[in-house]
Amino acid sequence: MLRTFARRLRVLTVLLLLTLVAAACGGADESTDAAATDAAASDTDASDAAAAPEGPTIRIRGQDFSESATIAQVYGQYLQAKGYDVEIVAPAGFRAEAVAGLQNDELDLIVDYIGGSQTELAPDTETSDDPDQVIEVITPAYEEIGATVLEYSPAVDGDALVVRGDSEAETISDLAGMDLVFGASAQCFERPQCFLGYTDPDIYGIEFADTVTLEFGPLLGEGLAAGEVDAVVWNTTAPQIEEQGFKVLEDDKGLHPAQNIAPIVMTDVLEAYGDQLSADLNTLSAAITTEDLVAWNVQTDIEQREPDDVATEWLEAEGLN
Amino acid sequence: MDVTLAQAALPREISLSEFLFSAELWTRDDGILDTLVDTAVLCGAVVLAATLVAVPLAAYLAHHGRGEIAVTWMVTLSRAVPTLAVAALLVPVSLRIGLGFEPWPIFIALLLLALPQIYINTYAAIRGADRGVVGAARGMGLTESAVLWRVEAALAGAVIMTSIRVAAVQVIATEPLRAFLGGDGLGRYVRDGLGQNSPSQIVGGTILIGLFAASTALAFRGAERLALPRGVTRLSSNAT
Repeated sequence: MLRTFARRLRVLTVLLLLTLVAAACGGADESTDAAATDAAASDTDASDAAAAPEGPTIRIRGQDFSESATIAQVYGQYLQAKGYDVEIVAPAGFRAEAVAGLQNDELDLIVDYIGGSQTELAPDTETSDDPDQVIEVITPAYEEIGATVLEYSPAVDGDALVVRGDSEAETISDLAGMDLVFGASAQCFERPQCFLGYTDPDIYGIEFADTVTLEFGPLLGEGLAAGEVDAVVWNTTAPQIEEQGFKVLEDDKGLHPAQNIAPIVMTDVLEAYGDQLSADLNTLSAAITTEDLVAWNVQTDIEQREPDDVATEWLEAEGLN
Repeated sequence: MDVTLAQAALPREISLSEFLFSAELWTRDDGILDTLVDTAVLCGAVVLAATLVAVPLAAYLAHHGRGEIAVTWMVTLSRAVPTLAVAALLVPVSLRIGLGFEPWPIFIALLLLALPQIYINTYAAIRGADRGVVGAARGMGLTESAVLWRVEAALAGAVIMTSIRVAAVQVIATEPLRAFLGGDGLGRYVRDGLGQNSPSQIVGGTILIGLFAASTALAFRGAERLALPRGVTRLSSNAT
């Protein structure tokens, strides 16, 4: 009862923020919607010549942050170009909402970070920095809700312990004895793969001088740059890391779980298309690299470009549409 | 190691009663009691600063009948400026000039919340002091400053103190924002509860904030009773 209440509360907060954002940039939204339809129209025109695959509409939705939105656009536009009947739904919610979307028959395809999927679907299982082991855990978990995990991509957006560029540390182990101030979002402080793992004497055993709870996002970089915190938990593809000259420490004890991206498709949709859909998706997943994710984030978060434009450009450059 | 242990998150499965009634959680280093004091000091400083600036300024200008337009503007602005936006915009500035996450951004944002509230009410109360009484005071040969501080301010006292009380409650209810901007304070439990999907922390934190705001309001009411001149209390109770 209370748990659902907490979730509702969070959804409500997100909705409120969304309304504000939507109100602030209503004009911009309309033009991008138009651009998206244009792009979709030209895509289907171009591929009419090829034998269009027959099957149900594939509904794909990204989570509500720019990297996930771009990934959804890349997968969606790619499939549109291949002649599939695709509906790219506006990004909403986070992982829990994505999984719920599959379960409620709102969505047919999501693209998630595999380690994140594991903590969502099987929170009590041991995590691993080996993607194949993570896949072994999440494949049966997704089967239970009637979905299939396809081949994971080499592209990774994992947890990263980030320090300023002038730090002498190169690995996370180097932080022991440096007496640093540690900053991370609230979730980190109760996770074995995060704060608890860094401080666990049997793993990294780092003693931090102090800790600060920071909302995930640009605030982490602001605090790091100002010297208010010395090490923060961010994600490896955060564009600010390179822009502000920060350094990602090597996870020399393999604490962080593997976070490759992988498409997850409803099994009935996958079977309706035969082998063609999984083969097409696997080709795309194999083509995306971690560097691509960083480049997309630079364009969306720093240059303030729209995810659908970024996706179209990338697909053109790769010759995938 | 003690520091990191104390800072580690509360267990997500903690029950509401454990959260609210565990003596250890209250008294440990950086526990609920320390957090409460932390919040009280910040809110107290904000309300004190707002009062010290707003009351004399508003009283002086109202006595001389100046700055009516400023009041109108403040009413509008104080309703329109969101505290969260002010604080969030100030945090990067504060970091860049080396002042850290706290306390200046949230202090200024809360000051902008409390100040107009107290200013507007003080101004209106002084202006609204019974002109007959004020005229009588002048006729008795009181100096202008005595008219202001011993007659008008005394008559307006109840309204001014009410406005300080309301501002204090608003400040306490808004202060939890700071937990979302690199600070702590009572909002930390709501923040951690949201992040960790732990309803007891969200509800527990909200209860703590609510109780603190409510007891502050009660304390102010008590203080109002003690501080106001008996004549004024009698006047206002006759009036109502």
